[in-house]
Amino acid sequence: MLTCGRFISSSSAATSTASFSPFRTLTRSLLRRPAPHLLSSASAAAATAVEPDTKGGGGAGGGAGVARPQWKAAIDFKWIRDNRDAVADNIRSRNSTANLDLILELYDQYLALRKEVERLRAERNAVANKMKGKNLKDGLIALEEDLVQLTDKLQLEAQSIPNTTHPDVPVGGEESSVLRKVVGSQRSFTFAMKDHLQLGKELDFFDFDAAAEVSGSKFYYLKNEAVLLEMALVNWAISEVSKKGFTPLITPEIVRSSVVEKCGFQPRAQNTQVYSIEDSDQCLIGTAEIPVGGIHMDSILAESALPLKYVAYSHCFRTEAGAAGAATRGLYRVHQFSKVEMFIFCRPEESDKLHEELITIEEDLYASLGLHFKTLDMATGDLGAPAYRKFDIEAWMPGLERYGEISSASNCTDYQSRRLGIRYRPSPSEPPSTNTKKGKGAGSGPTQFVHTLNATAVAVPRLIVCILENFQQDDGSIVVPEPLRPYMGGVEVLSPKFK
Amino acid sequence: MLTCGRFISSSSAATSTASFSPFRTLTRSLLRRPAPHLLSSASAAAATAVEPDTKGGGGAGGGAGVARPQWKAAIDFKWIRDNRDAVADNIRSRNSTANLDLILELYDQYLALRKEVERLRAERNAVANKMKGKLDPSVRQALVEEGKNLKDGLIALEEDLVQLTDKLQLEAQSIPNTTHPDVPVGGEESSVLRKVVGSQRSFTFAMKDHLQLGKELDFFDFDAAAEVSGSKFYYLKNEAVLLEMALVNWAISEVSKKGFTPLITPEIVRSSVVEKCGFQPRAQNTQVYSIEDSDQCLIGTAEIPVGGIHMDSILAESALPLKYVAYSHCFRTEAGAAGAATRGLYRVHQFSKVEMFIFCRPEESDKLHEELITIEEDLYASLGLHFKTLDMATGDLGAPAYRKFDIEAWMPGLERYGEISSASNCTDYQSRRLGIRYRPSPSEPPSTNTKKGKGAGSGPTQFVHTLNATAVAVPRLIVCILENFQQDDGSIVVPEPLRPYMGGVEVLSPKFK
Repeated sequence: MLTCGRFISSSSAATSTASFSPFRTLTRSLLRRPAPHLLSSASAAAATAVEPDTKGGGGAGGGAGVARPQWKAAIDFKWIRDNRDAVADNIRSRNSTANLDLILELYDQYLALRKEVERLRAERNAVANKMKGKNLKDGLIALEEDLVQLTDKLQLEAQSIPNTTHPDVPVGGEESSVLRKVVGSQRSFTFAMKDHLQLGKELDFFDFDAAAEVSGSKFYYLKNEAVLLEMALVNWAISEVSKKGFTPLITPEIVRSSVVEKCGFQPRAQNTQVYSIEDSDQCLIGTAEIPVGGIHMDSILAESALPLKYVAYSHCFRTEAGAAGAATRGLYRVHQFSKVEMFIFCRPEESDKLHEELITIEEDLYASLGLHFKTLDMATGDLGAPAYRKFDIEAWMPGLERYGEISSASNCTDYQSRRLGIRYRPSPSEPPSTNTKKGKGAGSGPTQFVHTLNATAVAVPRLIVCILENFQQDDGSIVVPEPLRPYMGGVEVLSPKFK
Repeated sequence: MLTCGRFISSSSAATSTASFSPFRTLTRSLLRRPAPHLLSSASAAAATAVEPDTKGGGGAGGGAGVARPQWKAAIDFKWIRDNRDAVADNIRSRNSTANLDLILELYDQYLALRKEVERLRAERNAVANKMKGKLDPSVRQALVEEGKNLKDGLIALEEDLVQLTDKLQLEAQSIPNTTHPDVPVGGEESSVLRKVVGSQRSFTFAMKDHLQLGKELDFFDFDAAAEVSGSKFYYLKNEAVLLEMALVNWAISEVSKKGFTPLITPEIVRSSVVEKCGFQPRAQNTQVYSIEDSDQCLIGTAEIPVGGIHMDSILAESALPLKYVAYSHCFRTEAGAAGAATRGLYRVHQFSKVEMFIFCRPEESDKLHEELITIEEDLYASLGLHFKTLDMATGDLGAPAYRKFDIEAWMPGLERYGEISSASNCTDYQSRRLGIRYRPSPSEPPSTNTKKGKGAGSGPTQFVHTLNATAVAVPRLIVCILENFQQDDGSIVVPEPLRPYMGGVEVLSPKFK
């Protein structure tokens, strides 16, 4: 066992130091364990190499070099330990790289070390003798430093554990997803059907070439009635969803990277979807889910305010790094797009029911547009870390000859709220206030984490693809879906400008 | 004078090298001139320190180290030289740091060097021609040597010419646009009042500012945004969302009725495009956000992607004027903007804007500038705002503008007039950088856009003029609407033109008191 210089001070401390060393040694060896998967977890900073401590003593943390996490998720380690097998199965079926064995080992060590620290604190408080007290203090400081490091590493490792999974979710990869619902059927064309790019060219709706010069590939200008179509989709969606009790929001599109991470995204991973701002800890959002989740960060909500429902409009920015191949033509995969997003904060007991409510709102929206689509219950391999259950809607896009995802509805249970620090105080007679920050609330009982859900109302470009390709006529004109006509000044048909 | 090793080769070249050295020396001394103002010019890369060449010979460019500009503005140096005094006056009244003396010196040197290069090329061709016939071997050998010396000297001078051209370009890019003769000379206080619409409302009750009103109406959340994003960010909530959408929808509708083509633009663009429009993404205190690990930036205005839409193109004259109304979000760092005028929605990092942009023939830009400002005045008058239109003075123009009209609206809560829009005639400043020309011709086939020189018609191409003008910049209009149209109970009367875009709602009522 390594002896640490700082502990060898006086004979009266000898007995104590002998009991320090095993803790320090074991702790340090755990901290030294490299974590190759961390490049894919929430904090890539933790991938800093851990160096063995050959010098002995001196230096905070003894050279173990674990990067401090910038924020802490309120992870329920006891529950994980008590449900070890289920958690391991879940990690496996989710294709997660979380290292459960290491996490539980770190947790045990953490408990033991914390107990030892508490014991020493008690001892120190009891000691009258100054000399003996000083040794205890030095030993305590060293152990407390180790405890901090251990807590940090435990946190970093554990942040990558995916959310639990709803029992009905099919296990497997994308092909295992289960069909929940089908609406409509594929239209059979009596003329030569065109894809949205060809239609758009004749309608003078897009300019991809100029955008490639000005901005790069996968950018675009919308022109003429395509602008009105985008505005109509956004206005209509906000209107329809707010009628159902959702509060409209327009959100920031630049956010701190820690908020992105807390929502379960990875701004610093290789092939990240997230654009970062130079010389700053800020990023561009890929979805309004992030700033909406953040709106109640570190807060205790009144139970009477739940469920809190928002419908948020924002632009979204995605690098699409690592996305190659045929499914990137035209509007199908772009770096910037407009989206109206639904987001709910609720009590845990309600999240399943509200998930059904969200998917129903989506299905109603797309059915009213006249689209043919299917709703899928996504399999475990396709869930992503935050989701407990995820329903995707794929609409028929005849020009692309495939079904393409137009929306996604996820129940994230308490995964995001444990990271964003969003709780509520269960209480029957709460005064009517929506938001009380940092623990100042009336009512009784311990706080609990809320559940969060998010669902796409409209993601504009892919809906434009659907509308153009499905509602084209033989002369290249497009029939405007009825619900959108009032938002386009009553226009019923969009006619080509060029043939 | 420095002698350069590479030129000392053979006696037959001695006469030639003697004529190289003065050019190289003078060129190098000009290239060596440091350019401290370049930190504020279009390319901060040019601020790389220039090192004196003590080694003599060897190495491309002889150690002068001028950074290459990423793009070239089509600057009319002859015109600048022929109008030197007027240009100098303009630079002065614009508070520009452009170094006209250096630029003209570099230009003279450039002309001389270019002439010399051409002379040497002609000489070299002559030598090559001489070698075509049957020649005595010793004569041929002498010609070969002479040809080689000419070639070496030519290569060196050509390198110098490239560097000189680059430095000339970098220096000249910072020359501001010319100025309309009617523009008042001086600082902001010299700006001239063109028009006043309405008058300040006198309140019969305790007037509130937009922040107080917004709190009672539950319209904004600045605190949560400060946590999530940082200061000067905000969430809009409830009817404020509908108000923003209404302003945008209404503006697009009204302006497109006047013949402007609607556009939704990228908000991420290459930094070179930002520079070509006259902004400085790399300057200290830049207004421009840059994307990490990339040459891309966020736009501060749709002017940039709209100007870029016809980059490096020749437009058909029949297509002009080309009028666009563009909707985008805008992102500004607001670095260097401190003080009281930053509360609430007045100065924010992100906002929605509908922008008008015109490409036109030079003869029409003055008239179209008047048209744009009239559209703006009509929009704000129809909302019922009290505002004044100012002809901005030279010190407040910014490099691209030939003339700029600003509209400032009365904001009672801030107890001041605040700028809600700006209309600029940039003449050919942006088009010379973006490379946008048109071919004057009476019978042009009806095509809007032909890239890179392939066009029918006759006559040389000319640069278009560009103009830009704000239709609506949402947050400051929200400030105006809330503060001006508040009632004593904290409710807000919705301006009539916006009501159809808000489902007919006429009054916005507070949720809290």
